Amino acid sequence: MPDLASIATTAPVTGDVPAAGVDPALAGFIYLEARLADEARYSEWEALWDDDALYWVPMGPDHDPRVNLSYIYDNRRRIRSRIAQLNSGNRHSQTPPSVIRRMISNLEVVARDEDTTTIASNFALFEYRFDLIVWAGRYEHRIRARGDDLKLVSKTVHLVNAGGPISTMSFLI
Amino acid sequence: MTELDTRPPRAVDVAALVKADRVHGSVYTSQEIYDLEMTRIFREGWVFVAHESEVPEPSNYVTRRIAGEPWIVARGRDGVVRVLANRCTHRGNRLCNADAGNSSSFRCPYHGWTFSNDGALTGVPMRGGYGEQFDAVRNGLGLKPAAAVDSYRGFVFACLSTPPKTLLEHLGRATTAMDRLLALSPTGQLNLRAGWMKHDMPCNWKMVMENNVDGYHALFTHASVYDAVKPAKVSHVPSKVEVCVRDLGDGHSEIDYSPEYTRLDEEFVWFGRIRREKLPRYVAAMEEAYGPEGTHRAFVVGPPHTLIFPNLFLAEMNIMTVEPMGPGRSIAYTTPALIPGADELNQKMLRRAEGAMGPAGFLIADDGEIGARNQLGLAGPDPEWVVLSRGIESDLTNETGIVNHDKSAETPQRGWWRHWASVLAGQASTGGDSDDKGAVHA
Repeated sequence: MPDLASIATTAPVTGDVPAAGVDPALAGFIYLEARLADEARYSEWEALWDDDALYWVPMGPDHDPRVNLSYIYDNRRRIRSRIAQLNSGNRHSQTPPSVIRRMISNLEVVARDEDTTTIASNFALFEYRFDLIVWAGRYEHRIRARGDDLKLVSKTVHLVNAGGPISTMSFLI
Repeated sequence: MTELDTRPPRAVDVAALVKADRVHGSVYTSQEIYDLEMTRIFREGWVFVAHESEVPEPSNYVTRRIAGEPWIVARGRDGVVRVLANRCTHRGNRLCNADAGNSSSFRCPYHGWTFSNDGALTGVPMRGGYGEQFDAVRNGLGLKPAAAVDSYRGFVFACLSTPPKTLLEHLGRATTAMDRLLALSPTGQLNLRAGWMKHDMPCNWKMVMENNVDGYHALFTHASVYDAVKPAKVSHVPSKVEVCVRDLGDGHSEIDYSPEYTRLDEEFVWFGRIRREKLPRYVAAMEEAYGPEGTHRAFVVGPPHTLIFPNLFLAEMNIMTVEPMGPGRSIAYTTPALIPGADELNQKMLRRAEGAMGPAGFLIADDGEIGARNQLGLAGPDPEWVVLSRGIESDLTNETGIVNHDKSAETPQRGWWRHWASVLAGQASTGGDSDDKGAVHA
């Protein structure tokens, strides 16, 4: 468990935080989240989320979800629905699931507060379905320490091709 | 070769491809048919290009493609919305390269030619190089406007060649669907500025359109939503609901839920059965505009579920338009039909659009998958025909069109194909839906 108390500040820290500051446990959590998504382990993936969850894939880097349409803007309840649909066996666009592997790199801590750390990273994701499709972009994971546990508070996915068009994206990006 | 190839496209025997109860599989896969569609439907007929709310102020613009050609939809300083060819008249550079923006002029970065957003060529650097002919050169080199631009209640349509009929003749009975949508707006306006989801689908554009008014597929294609997430707004089992399908003529068609909603006399069945108390300002504005009775009626009847030939779908509280990208590829564009001033409603509409529509939507992602598999299946040539006979013996003709009270009937598809065949055969030159007759032989 990371010693978050020693790095806690009251205001978010952005900018000059050294990359070396990413705690291995937090990085490991991000890799776990990626692996569960890659392997279509839907319920295990869902269990990573905290109650105030937000899974967001905007259509532009500076978009405001109150004004702009997003590809995905799931609160905890909608994440539950998304997973129920994927688990139904009748989510045709993921039946069978796409074969997926993603790589994540360039992890940086971009904000911290008392119990939550925001980590930005770059990703490349390879999806094989009818053809091989490459997805790429930037993740922002907000991860909360809860006792001995880590929970995912938000995951934002800035696709490099957010402006579209994009292919069907019913897997967990 | 210096002259444009103006020969008519090679003849396709359309009448041999479309019968009253079936359609030949090649209509989805043939490059020759696709090329003919681009000419007959997208260059010679009316197509939806934009909504006026996307260019609300003078100098606003959006860029679009029609049949692969780049166009600018620009509101001039005079307030007029124009549709202008998006290529520099000098050497052909695409002139405007943003999706949307605000500019009273467009300057080509190649040699600096500048055009006003009314299309006039206003600036040519080093004009002396053109000698005495300059004024003649300049006056003849404005941006080419679409041959015709017209709008109905904010929906802007263009026709790239002399239109065979007026926009109102083209829209026919489909204006009732737009009116039905606008009846939910206290100002009679919409706001289509939330952004378009652009969904790349490996299937023919007609599959995307036809499927939108297919009342048969939901129980199967969307079983995962209704079984695992939430029940449908009203049953998709035809015998349990008074939902009808309708061929409106002129290629337009719909699934009409209003008989069932009216029977229930319940408001907002179409919007998650939301209660009025959640939308106090919107309800007040509606009652101010339309009175208590009109408001109740609008809230009960709800929005249209109507396909407008060839490329517009009024998807209840969303708008979809489809762009053909070749016989086997389409882009579906979707955005919510936000209502000016109804912020409580609009927030929910954004979230509902994300839930249902687009590449990750609970509904449309699976429609896209089905479309892709349809395209793969049709690579096989046998059997030659796709069957559209469902409900053909129970179709009824009345003043609203051809109606079938079984929502799973393929009445909308039959209407689509009858009109498609008449357009491709070059027979759609008169108003009304009488043009549809004759091209199809049972």
